[in-house]
Amino acid sequence: MSKILIVDDEKDVCDFIQNYFRKRKIESAIANSGSQALVMFANYKPDLVLLDIKMPGLDGLHVLETIKKETPEAKVMMLSGEENEETVNRAKQLGAIDFIHKPLELKELSKVITLLLGENN
Amino acid sequence: MKLNYKKELENAAKSMILVHRLDTLIKLIVRVIINRLNVVHAGILLFDKAKQSYVLSFSRGKTGKRIPKGFMRIDKNHPLIRFLNNGDGKKAFGDHIIEYKLLNKAIKNKKLTYLKDVFMEIKLLMDDLEVVACVPSFFRSELLGVLLLGKKDKGGWFKREELDFFQALASDVAMAIHNAQLFEQLQDEAERRYKLFMGSILALAKEIDAKDHYTSGHTERVIDYSLAIVEKLKELDKAGPITDDFIEDLKIASLLHDVGKIGIPEKVLNKNGKLDEEEFTLIKQHTTIGVSILEPIKEFLKDALLGIKYHHERFDGTGYPEGLKGENIPLIASIIGVADSYDAMITDRPYRKALSKEQAINEIQRYCGSQFHPVVAEVMVALYKENKI
Repeated sequence: MSKILIVDDEKDVCDFIQNYFRKRKIESAIANSGSQALVMFANYKPDLVLLDIKMPGLDGLHVLETIKKETPEAKVMMLSGEENEETVNRAKQLGAIDFIHKPLELKELSKVITLLLGENN
Repeated sequence: MKLNYKKELENAAKSMILVHRLDTLIKLIVRVIINRLNVVHAGILLFDKAKQSYVLSFSRGKTGKRIPKGFMRIDKNHPLIRFLNNGDGKKAFGDHIIEYKLLNKAIKNKKLTYLKDVFMEIKLLMDDLEVVACVPSFFRSELLGVLLLGKKDKGGWFKREELDFFQALASDVAMAIHNAQLFEQLQDEAERRYKLFMGSILALAKEIDAKDHYTSGHTERVIDYSLAIVEKLKELDKAGPITDDFIEDLKIASLLHDVGKIGIPEKVLNKNGKLDEEEFTLIKQHTTIGVSILEPIKEFLKDALLGIKYHHERFDGTGYPEGLKGENIPLIASIIGVADSYDAMITDRPYRKALSKEQAINEIQRYCGSQFHPVVAEVMVALYKENKI
């Protein structure tokens, strides 16, 4: 069964995305901070991570770097607000597979599912 | 300057809702919906020109059910938006509001098969957002926003009066948005004119500098000294309240304090020795000439004109053009007076060499209270000691 780890400091955002996936029969777990995300990544072992960039404490780029260092094949997709080009490039360098910019269109979340299921074929 | 325009707008537009109140109004509307009608959640999509989409900008409701603010948007080409814009609701449901139960009925309606794809897309969206009614917010024919309503707490469908109520609220939202946009446009226009105005003044000031050979850079330095003085006065709180408007006026007055020199013959301005009585009388006129040159735009200058007219007055009343004394001299003029004199002393003139900064400051201290306003002079000395000038 495919599962996604949703990481965002805004609880509403995590709940919303989780509901979206649940309606499409995709399992998911939530982390509200960078440090929580790292713990959950190790324990939950998701097939894909949806990772917010701007978070207090350990930010998305650091989490991305850490995950990719320990698990180079991990699939991480970045969720960003009004990020600048520098940040986007940095994330790509660190190995993020793609980007979703907030405010997003719901069909962009479908993109996540396609990416997820694509690998498992 | 900016503030004057804003004040004019505020006076003219008392009935218009100002920008900051738009937020409050919309938040209030959403809160009213949640509390009075007991819906699980409610949100408002507002059109964002830059993104060409309707962004979920306001949202309230139960945790886990409400749509996160600023998180999602609906592109203007999405079937929901096109449907609302085309007024297809009237044909399909007899209303502009899209209600979930009527949408389901319409999907099964054989007469509306051509709209089936559109209906399915809208249904999917409403399912994902857990919304049972979409209420468009029109201003004339422009769709400015969409009100999204979650289920009723206790279940059941909306009554006609409730839907009419939502429609009325949606219209209020549209009106408020439209007014806010209007106000923003007017502000932008005001800002544009202000920039034009400042640009013209700068050009004027540059011309003055160009004409008076010995004083190039003088204007800029006078502005710098004046601003340093006023910041210090504000910090020490020794000259009453210093407002942003005052500082703005000071900036403009410093920039234009010598504009009247355009009316003085060059041979007098750049004379290589001491001036005779006639020549001195001519030079003195630069203050009043300055004011008359600026007559056509005096509305925009207001208090800045005082700085231009009176910057050669002396605290003991022996200055020109009017011989004002003591605190009767506007503070703006006193500040420029000190700044102007200081710069004159430390630069070469046709009739004498420059003094050192230390010598100039000593002169300021010496004439503190006679030529110069005591508090301003004191500040100038302090700035020198702090190496700020």
